[in-house]
Amino acid sequence: MKLLATAIWLACILPLTAEAANRTLTISVYAYAQDDYKRLVYDPFEARCGCKLVVETGNSVERLARMETNKAHPVVDMAVVSMADALRASRDGLLAKIDPAKLPNIEKLYDLAKDPNGDGMSVGYTFYATSIVYRPDKMKIESWADLLKPEYVGHIAFPNITTNQGPPALQMLGQAMGETAPNLKAPIAAIGQNKDDIVTFYEKSSQLVQLMQQEEIWAAPIGRFSWGAFTKLDVPVAWATPKEGQTGGMNVMVLTKGSQNQDLAQEFMNFWISTDVQTALAQKLVDSPANKDVKVAPDIANNLTYGEATARSLKLIPSAAILDQRDGWVKEWNEAVGQ
Amino acid sequence: MFHNRSEALILAIPAALFAAVVFLVPVVMLLSEGFHGPAGDWSIGAYTAFFSETLNRTVFLRTLRLGLEVTAAAVVIGYAAALAIVHLPSKGKGRMIGLVVLPLMISPVARTYAWIVILGRTGFVNKALMTLHLIDSPLHLLFSETAVFLGLLQLFLPLMILPLIGALENLPKDAVAAARVLGANWLQVFWKIVLPLTREGLVLGGALVFTGSLTAYITPAILGGSKVLMLETLLYQRVAVSNDFVAASVIAFILIVMSFGANLVLKHLATARSRI
Amino acid sequence: MNRLLSPVVLSLVLVFLIGPFFVIVAASLSAGETLAFPPHGLSLQWMAKVFTIDSFRASFAISLLLAVGGTALALMLGVPAAYALSRYPLPFKEAIRAILSAPIVVPGIIVGLSILRYLVVPFGFSITLALFFAHTALVLPYAVRVVSASLDNLRSDIEEAAVLLGSSRLGAFFRVVVPNIRGGLLAAFILGFVTSFNQVPVSLFLSGPGIQTLPINMLGYMETTYDPSVAALSALLAFLSVGIVFLAERFLGFSRYV
Repeated sequence: MKLLATAIWLACILPLTAEAANRTLTISVYAYAQDDYKRLVYDPFEARCGCKLVVETGNSVERLARMETNKAHPVVDMAVVSMADALRASRDGLLAKIDPAKLPNIEKLYDLAKDPNGDGMSVGYTFYATSIVYRPDKMKIESWADLLKPEYVGHIAFPNITTNQGPPALQMLGQAMGETAPNLKAPIAAIGQNKDDIVTFYEKSSQLVQLMQQEEIWAAPIGRFSWGAFTKLDVPVAWATPKEGQTGGMNVMVLTKGSQNQDLAQEFMNFWISTDVQTALAQKLVDSPANKDVKVAPDIANNLTYGEATARSLKLIPSAAILDQRDGWVKEWNEAVGQ
Repeated sequence: MFHNRSEALILAIPAALFAAVVFLVPVVMLLSEGFHGPAGDWSIGAYTAFFSETLNRTVFLRTLRLGLEVTAAAVVIGYAAALAIVHLPSKGKGRMIGLVVLPLMISPVARTYAWIVILGRTGFVNKALMTLHLIDSPLHLLFSETAVFLGLLQLFLPLMILPLIGALENLPKDAVAAARVLGANWLQVFWKIVLPLTREGLVLGGALVFTGSLTAYITPAILGGSKVLMLETLLYQRVAVSNDFVAASVIAFILIVMSFGANLVLKHLATARSRI
Repeated sequence: MNRLLSPVVLSLVLVFLIGPFFVIVAASLSAGETLAFPPHGLSLQWMAKVFTIDSFRASFAISLLLAVGGTALALMLGVPAAYALSRYPLPFKEAIRAILSAPIVVPGIIVGLSILRYLVVPFGFSITLALFFAHTALVLPYAVRVVSASLDNLRSDIEEAAVLLGSSRLGAFFRVVVPNIRGGLLAAFILGFVTSFNQVPVSLFLSGPGIQTLPINMLGYMETTYDPSVAALSALLAFLSVGIVFLAERFLGFSRYV
């Protein structure tokens, strides 16, 4: 009986082992807001191209590790990763050059999104500001250094160095301290000195929502894409505009080298950055638009990272700097904070 | 009837082969990466490099310490609980065992988040302690070794209780009664009769708990809040963030050695006791 | 001493073990937007929401298939091996026993990673197949150990008697041995099922487009959305498992074999 059941089951999954590549586009994305994406991006695209979309989700690092392992026989056609990870993938020879001719909508993007790493291998589709979310009834945040004030430091969370928000937040902290060396030694040391008081070094920004609700923390640096969840809490929250400014990041689309569906993948990318799709995603507060033709109502814009001025004001760390320095940062961090 | 050795091999080989091909070979190959120097030669350079960093030594000792603490606590509480359960009438016993098994059915992800709610500043534990006026302001229980300890203990306690129940049930009933009649107090009964005769269960349970604590990932990762790095979380960091497979294989090898070591020590301790 | 201390000890232990479960159930019934205990109002909205999330349904199906299939295969491989280990003078007995117990000792992340690097990539196995094999390998030690324990408790002369009375070896096995180790088989199946279903570290690396086990999916979901859906899902799954365990206890009294 068991034998029969197993045999039947094996017969059912064996067809799955064949890679059916006729008009199937395999994409690798963040696990974020997939229901919205399905409705606003995937389903409409499937309708117009008559193809099938297969979606892999996970965080940037894990998906990259898988891309690296599958280098010789790529499984994924296009992926969406952070700017720095795109440069790493490009340096590891995992990507193919994106043909601007196949992406006419590229003209509509803000300049900083057209070729973020300068190597023609990525196109930005959303960017976000990173600043501090805090309880206005418990504290005032006017500078990044306020996070380390003795009366506040026991109630804050800080991003772990391994996250996308980590280095930018440290960079801003460094600026507030008057230390701008790219090795981030000074801000890391400052964090290290306070490590017993700081509540946690978070890896997932969603955890912060829970902690804020439980009053475990009163403030934390986060990316703007997490802001929406905080507004639904019972406690009052505000977005800081510190005097050193805000930092941020950009997420980009990349094309896998050796993929069998390069044309289809680029068609999909073009679709994603089109004004209609970017507007729809913006309206739903899913992603802030990288397309400058997108127009939304002011109350929606308030919850996004929106507009030319905002785009230019963000102090992003160049990907090359992140990649070259990252190992050094992790080492510094582990010594100062990890133990 | 049961003397044919080739018959025995035929029965056992498929399983052994499967385990070897699917599991053993890939793992050994990955572990061997830790023994290759940069020029591809055999060297333990990766290991000396690993232990030369203070962070790694701290993480190693912390992992070992927590593993031992959780196992010790599990042994004490496990025996108490198992003894209590074994003396219940059969119906109640079955239900108790079901309840003990219940935590194993809950996804570790959910269990860990439940701890975040329970141990938080406004959580149940703090509220109870404050109401009883044992503390004035909430304790920082979360994201500490205590939190990880509690999380791991809750995770693995059933794995200690279950084998102990099995072992206690096989205890000859008269042995305890005889010892009592001969004048032994409860401590002596436990130490000289119960412990040696249930050593199989102790070894199995202890091994499961210790190994589990060493190799747990979700619980230390979430409850430790990146402030309590353990070997397994370090391993993940090395692989996922730094793409450093050599370091990862070094850590894996260390973990495996620790598990085997613990197994051997437990067996030794248990047999030593039986020389009454 | 026992009379007084027993119930106290037991209650404390049970509270410790089951407490988190109540927190999850309570939190999943919250009318609010975040996990809270005690919950802010009661509502079944999250329980309902769980069924509407596509990725949960898909990954639940995958986890279920893997758990059932993996455990079935592990039993098919493991029962003969356990039989050989307990009845016969098996050559290389200790080595085989070691190989079959090894998966418990190795950190899950390493297992997942090495299977990915040395099986999937060089030989082009599909992720699903690799997941299936990995889960089977993980369950195998439990299958062998538990069934061995049962077999050790069963006297071999009953089988010999059956053969003497004219049964074939295979017939003796199915008609004499199997019914008597039913409890052990069931316990092994349940343990294996639970291990496979809740498995995280191994499945972390063995995910691919469209293929994800439920715990990994839950983790990913929690990374981005922090609402009680995950608590609701866990609660539902736990109820399901509890139901299975109690049914097993009722019909087979498998507590004797654990």
